[in-house]
Amino acid sequence: MVVTFPHMGKMYIPVKALFDDLGVKVVIPPPISKKTLETGTRLSPEMACLPLKINMGNYLESIARGADTIVLSGSCGPCRFGYYGVVQKEILRDLGYDIDVVIIDTPQLGIRAFMEKIRKITGNQPWFKVLKAFSNASDIVALVDELLDASLMKRPREMVPGETDRVMQQFESDFAEAVGSSEIKALIGKYMEKIRSIREKAGVSPLRIGLVGEIYTLIEPFVNLNVERKLGRLGVEVHRGITINEWVKQHLSLDFSYKRKQKRILKKAEPYLNLCVGGHAWQTVASTVNYSDEGLDGVIQVMPFGCMPEIVAESILPSIASDRSFPIMTLTVDELTGEAGYMTRLEAFVDLLSQKKGILA
Amino acid sequence: MKIGIPRALLYFNYYPFWKTFFEELNHETVLSSKTTNRVLDMGVKSCVDDACLPVKLFHGHVMDLIGKADRIFIPRLISVEPGEYICPKFIGLPEMVKNSVPNLPELIVIDFNAHRNAEREYDGCKAVGKALGAGLKQINGALEKAKSAQREYENRLLQGYNPLKLLDQGAAEAQRIPGKGSGKGRIALIGHPYLLYDQHINMNICSKLEKRGYQPLFPENIGKDSIDAACAGLPKKLFWSYGQRLLGSGLHMLERGMVSGIVFISSFGCGIDSFIGELLQRFNHRSFKVPYTTITLDEHSGQAGFDTRLEAFTDMLEWRRVDGCHIPSYGQNVHTCQSPF
Repeated sequence: MVVTFPHMGKMYIPVKALFDDLGVKVVIPPPISKKTLETGTRLSPEMACLPLKINMGNYLESIARGADTIVLSGSCGPCRFGYYGVVQKEILRDLGYDIDVVIIDTPQLGIRAFMEKIRKITGNQPWFKVLKAFSNASDIVALVDELLDASLMKRPREMVPGETDRVMQQFESDFAEAVGSSEIKALIGKYMEKIRSIREKAGVSPLRIGLVGEIYTLIEPFVNLNVERKLGRLGVEVHRGITINEWVKQHLSLDFSYKRKQKRILKKAEPYLNLCVGGHAWQTVASTVNYSDEGLDGVIQVMPFGCMPEIVAESILPSIASDRSFPIMTLTVDELTGEAGYMTRLEAFVDLLSQKKGILA
Repeated sequence: MKIGIPRALLYFNYYPFWKTFFEELNHETVLSSKTTNRVLDMGVKSCVDDACLPVKLFHGHVMDLIGKADRIFIPRLISVEPGEYICPKFIGLPEMVKNSVPNLPELIVIDFNAHRNAEREYDGCKAVGKALGAGLKQINGALEKAKSAQREYENRLLQGYNPLKLLDQGAAEAQRIPGKGSGKGRIALIGHPYLLYDQHINMNICSKLEKRGYQPLFPENIGKDSIDAACAGLPKKLFWSYGQRLLGSGLHMLERGMVSGIVFISSFGCGIDSFIGELLQRFNHRSFKVPYTTITLDEHSGQAGFDTRLEAFTDMLEWRRVDGCHIPSYGQNVHTCQSPF
């Protein structure tokens, strides 16, 4: 059995550590490229949301490298993501691929099915080893997000423009050599030091912008056209409401103090939206209010075209913007999004914020 | 008090319930006018761009009610079956309207949520009844009457009645026994109720098919048991109630050989249809091979192109039966030539 999985930002790092520790052979899909997107778009339903299309591209590229089992997580609606696995499997079947698609639903949906699926992937490894591998992987999730957050803080402050990006690129090429969770942890530690030691300009107080929206679009830089890096280069300190680490804490852990904190933030959305409408729409509205309370300069919502829950949030955000005179911009991405227009809108938004704040660029 | 009910979205499924409920609480109900270009334009202008046609249309119908009613009723359908959902936009509908439509009168929002427990589905009605000043006894009586009106409506649908005609013409239509068309057979019209029964946005597809001699068959004409049975083979439970209805009724009609063709009606950007349509089409191609077409509607749909596609589709059905399959294209016989009639 050779396992593969769809890309989602830096998710491949903990996932590789997990499978390495369990001795499962794994193919990491090649980094998402234009070709991945084209392949995926050609094979997927026209009206499907962008993540599904890119997943399809990932699968085909991994299959070409020898993968025969696809692992992906599931959910129980109302967002479409919960049914991705089923539709993708039917498409692969009609293409003539005999591929096993293992959908791992959250344990809340039935602990038994969850355990069975884990068994299926891990073979006959003893449970304590499986648990250990999972706990190591979740440590790595947290470490990776710390590394990313550190780079977000560094980018607007770096003395030599582009240095942070160079370090991060080096990290990715070194990662290809690392095997197993302990090597990966050490590698992340090493690069954390490198990021920290990047020299900073003195006396910079950058604009602060919060990113909210649909989780996949936020986390996968290919899809959001590297919005974090683009903003960082424009001298903006980027804050993220949704990360892989947060998702893991919310769905797979028993960290109650974290959950309480999340509930407190969700409560802030009360005047606008007071229930879950699927996906991360509630969080989008709540984090926007929260960022405005925290004194950030603005918020950008990022979502894939046609995303059902985020459309609800999108129609609410203008009210928050006018109630609090708080700048909010929505960016919708799909397979046709052009980089130039996107860049222009980001620059215009940043200009607007800096003028509002009295900093003239 | 006059309560306005927008003639959009799930009006086509639940109107008898809503109307009876409010009337039993001694309130007058008023419907928004039927969809026109004006209603559609108002909706398109007020709603966010990314929303789908039916949600935009709902905004238009709400605006149409401003000035006609004292309060406007907006249902929040979270879940109508335990463990299932409806589209996320239905859950956030009251918020979308509140934040997009200016000068709204007070809204009456009733939550319908059977996600955890089917018994609790009507809790929202009780709360709203109380807020409208009715006593518990009156509310319970109204609920019972509303439920039975709804049951009667659904039973008629199962007998093969056209929901649109039932709602518009009421008792007169209910006297009539549903026909089988003028003999050319039946075509499955699969789509969400708000597309199938809104004659303006679907450009009158039902009567166009009837004029050509076909009897349309709707998802609403298929019983829940048959739908569940048809969906039982799916590898994972389909968590959208309407997705289930569309896919299950389509598969049921195919399995029973009830239809000679399928027209799948979708609206541009519909998240659920993008999956359901895909699955139905793939299953059909694999096992049934009945002619299938998808028509996507949006606010720019042009009548001419729509008619052409519909004509082409019915022509295909007919030529397939007569001599279409004896003329091979590019040297190959593309049709299986099993007469579907």
